[in-house]
Amino acid sequence: MPEHIRFARNRREFLTDCFCGVGALGYASLLGAEKARNPLAPKAPHFPAKAKSMIFLFQAGGPSHLETFDPKPLLNQLHGQKRPDTFGKVEYQNVNQNSRILGTKRTFARYGKSGLEISDLLPHQAQIADDLCVIRSMYGDMVVHSAAQYQMMSGRVIPGFPSMGSWVTYGLGTVSDSLPAYVVMPDPNGAPEAGQPVYTNGFLPAVYQPAMFRAGKRPVLNLEVPKGISMDRRRKTIELIRQLNEANMAEEDAEFAARISAYDTAFKMQTQAPEIFDLSNEPQETLAMYGVGQPDTDDYGRRCLLARRLIEKGVRFVCVVAGGGGAETEWDAHSDIEKNHARMARLTDQPTAALVKDLKRRGLLDETIVLWGGEFGRSPESERGSGRDHHNTGFSMWVAGGGFKGGMAYGATDDIGLKATVNPVHFRDLHATLINQLGLQQDALSYLHQGRRERLTEVHGTILKDLLV
Amino acid sequence: MATVVWAAPDIAPLGSYTAVERRHWAFQPRKDVAPPVFDDAAAKAWIRTPVDAFVLAGLRKAELAPAPEADRATLIRRVTFNLHGLPPTPEEIAAFVADKRPDAYEKLVDRLLDSPRYGEQWARHWLDVVRFAESDGYEYDTHRPDAFRFRDYVIASFNSDKPYDVFLKEQLAGDEIDPKNDTLLVASGFNRLGPLRKNAGNQDVASSRTEVLTEMANIVGAGMLGMTMGCARCHDHKFDPIRQSDYYRLQGYFAQTQANDVIIASAEEQAKYKATMEPLENEMRKLRFSMRKASEEDKGKILTRLEEIDGQIPLPLTAMYAVKNDPKEMTPIHMLQRGDYRNRGAAVGMRPPGILLPDGAEELPLATEKPRTRLAEWITTAENPLTARVMVNRIWGFHFGRPIVTTPNDFGKMGTRPSHPELLDWLGNEYVRQGWKMKPMHRMILLSAAYRQASVSPSEKAFAAKDPDNKWLWKANRRRLEAEEIRDTMLAVSGRLNAKLGGPSVMVQIDPELIKDLKRPQYWVTTRDRTEHDRRTIYMIYKRNLILPFMQVFDSPDTLLSCARRDQSTHAPQALELLNGTVSNDLAIAFAKRLAGAPGERVDMAWRLATGRLPNAKERALSLQYLDDPDPSAMTEFALSLFNSNAFLYVN
Repeated sequence: MPEHIRFARNRREFLTDCFCGVGALGYASLLGAEKARNPLAPKAPHFPAKAKSMIFLFQAGGPSHLETFDPKPLLNQLHGQKRPDTFGKVEYQNVNQNSRILGTKRTFARYGKSGLEISDLLPHQAQIADDLCVIRSMYGDMVVHSAAQYQMMSGRVIPGFPSMGSWVTYGLGTVSDSLPAYVVMPDPNGAPEAGQPVYTNGFLPAVYQPAMFRAGKRPVLNLEVPKGISMDRRRKTIELIRQLNEANMAEEDAEFAARISAYDTAFKMQTQAPEIFDLSNEPQETLAMYGVGQPDTDDYGRRCLLARRLIEKGVRFVCVVAGGGGAETEWDAHSDIEKNHARMARLTDQPTAALVKDLKRRGLLDETIVLWGGEFGRSPESERGSGRDHHNTGFSMWVAGGGFKGGMAYGATDDIGLKATVNPVHFRDLHATLINQLGLQQDALSYLHQGRRERLTEVHGTILKDLLV
Repeated sequence: MATVVWAAPDIAPLGSYTAVERRHWAFQPRKDVAPPVFDDAAAKAWIRTPVDAFVLAGLRKAELAPAPEADRATLIRRVTFNLHGLPPTPEEIAAFVADKRPDAYEKLVDRLLDSPRYGEQWARHWLDVVRFAESDGYEYDTHRPDAFRFRDYVIASFNSDKPYDVFLKEQLAGDEIDPKNDTLLVASGFNRLGPLRKNAGNQDVASSRTEVLTEMANIVGAGMLGMTMGCARCHDHKFDPIRQSDYYRLQGYFAQTQANDVIIASAEEQAKYKATMEPLENEMRKLRFSMRKASEEDKGKILTRLEEIDGQIPLPLTAMYAVKNDPKEMTPIHMLQRGDYRNRGAAVGMRPPGILLPDGAEELPLATEKPRTRLAEWITTAENPLTARVMVNRIWGFHFGRPIVTTPNDFGKMGTRPSHPELLDWLGNEYVRQGWKMKPMHRMILLSAAYRQASVSPSEKAFAAKDPDNKWLWKANRRRLEAEEIRDTMLAVSGRLNAKLGGPSVMVQIDPELIKDLKRPQYWVTTRDRTEHDRRTIYMIYKRNLILPFMQVFDSPDTLLSCARRDQSTHAPQALELLNGTVSNDLAIAFAKRLAGAPGERVDMAWRLATGRLPNAKERALSLQYLDDPDPSAMTEFALSLFNSNAFLYVN
């Protein structure tokens, strides 16, 4: 029996079988009763899990595989030429038959014991090469941002379906009693194209919606007591609410009991969550590693460090977003890929590597999945001279920790990075593999909605066994 | 799953359905049932309207018994929230409690049904079902500043007790019925309520068109027929007898349908718009022309400039969002392999779902005149086994908190079976017989003994053990107020509610960080007139990419998919919202200021306003004890405590 929540009311009253849980998930009986009061109480996975939690470093806008993890020497040889017909056709937004191949200015080298090839755009991630499981053969169905982002996050190309974070929280609950189960830290520059619906719970109950930790002085909405109200006054107010609610409560009223425990949790969040944002107790060395305090890396560094701190406290799913607010401030390099990607790398590379290193030295990487990538890659042909267009038919993402093999590259694109040709991996295959590591079975993690048992994987994803330890 | 051969044939088969498939309860004609008859005095004494006989039969079969009638104060609070989404005033409660006339309750129900507040509350239910929103969703989440006209149309339709068959016909085919009638044009905007994907660079017209047709067809299935037609977009339905060809034949009714913005801006506005737009359009035309021969570098510059211009385009002219048929632009409808517009299979015409027709029923060609009128007429024929059942089930559900079929958008195999099938049929027959009018249905249900029960039974424990979900209605279901009702009630209780009806939607001031969630933050323009901020929540903007946090934590739907029933979840962010959020705190200040007199009087007044009753001894003692404090914020915090109390948030 995990000691995750201490309730004020006595347990006896709530061991009645008054709420039916999601039967298929087979919780331990006591956990089932807990759930009646707290739908976010931890739930047993479907089978023993390799990982407990997940961090998604969402690189919005679509980072180029050709400038990062997928070296293509032929690209430079064909620079300025039309794409040879032998590579086949793909559909683009702006690139057309007059477009020319764009060589890359990045150079690749082998890193770590594994000799994984990474470009000089990402020197810090190169240092963690042996922890990275790079998938070079990702593909999705959509070539426009919003729809591709929905698919990457929820498995569906239209909005309204639950995000990975909501699904995982629905499946596993949370062990934290003073922090949200699912946290999103958006880019302070603005939203990615898919907007708010990309992170949300869709048709799953509202308890599975993310907590947004935004930039600015009030990172979490409604965590601060209104101006002019003392903490002491507020404590009395919450006590009054409890007493009033208990005054009218029949025994075994599970819903009202849940309301009382929601106020307990709220009060804990209010008093304890601000500590999460206080980085003053982090050693200087750690802050420096994440680049906190340095102008370029301060924002993303803080957010990556927060991700680690949240995971440590038992938060189930954290999404840290790099990119938003328009093409210039995300990986959406339609023009001048060098300038765009150099900026994005300068902001994110060091904190990204720091997060993986930090998790590893704390022994947390084994039980935490770190996923890096965006909704698509970028085209081999140029757009607007030196930019690259959206590109969904073959691109790279990487996974670290959580029982994924390090120091490997899986799958391949063709010789110009146009199409995934060896072991193509669809988003749904990635989703199936990720939740598998969290102990969740893709068909059992389902929710009946309007005639369908909806799943994250929509139809059926293939678990990528070759990637797993 | 049946295998579809994609190379052939050119024409999809008309299809046939097995006897087993046809046997499913929801596809059967409604039975001509009569209410059960009881001989015993107890039953005769209890039954008030025909629905009671059905409920009592169910209760007796399950060896349960109805709870006694709720007290007057409970009853008026319940029925007022149910019909208006607002609390009764203390004066209204006192008057009703004191009203000794035998038909006091009937008079109350009639008064409530006659108020425009009724339309505001019940429109909300329909707007959930049809996923009404005032922006496109997706990348740009473009505003639909004139979408409020549809919301007002729905409110007015409920208030005038428009027959449901007319209501559906107007929404599906208002433009076909009378293209000169503004109300009908606005109603036809129903066909455009779904999310819409527009992309700056995306030239793929076919893909977008498929999505538009999908939105149009799916909502007819789920919202009007209770059939999850959408499941058959990619393949034959896995559980229900809906073939993929059925799905595309439903889409066929919309093959000619195109968006039609009927401009109603003044001549002056039109001139101003033209003056701004013309140079932009000219430049865009020139740029696009020069792009053909431009070098790579120049092309980049042109595209950048085009995007700049895109950002300068002014808000569209005031218009009615309607649809029209454009036979010249007719989309050929094909079955699409896995729903992908690139993989075209056999061509289809238009036809209702085959399971509801004789085997081999012919389809009509896509070019048929007034196609949506045809669909609407088929949907609203008295004999359609689904339409009336689906709607009376919704009505029943919004009165009792539990519909007869608990999956109101899915009457198929994966949906639940009706708890009271005879009652459902009887209600459906009655609905059609009295001309598809809602108010007589409301009246019959609200006047029933079943509705008037207390929310606690004398045999609570024993009955809860037998029937924990209260399927058989042995008591009234307690319910938590919905997001809109919570906010509206705080406004009402604090004396701040602006009761203005209709008109453009209001944007309130929100945290600037929230606005950053929008790709185009410039769309959020706080409404200047502050009195507008205190209007009922149905008049707040429903923007797809920015659901207000207050709404989100209290289970407001995301407006992306049809929502038949809202969740009633309980979680910590709700507590944080009510404790620390600006909505509740601002209104607590106003509420506290309203309270006057000695502490005891203030406490009583606060309770009567917030909960519709006086506090009991314990509640009064706790309240007075809390207020016995020199802290000047105590009164406001006390007001806030009431907003956080179950007595405020729940209706018995």
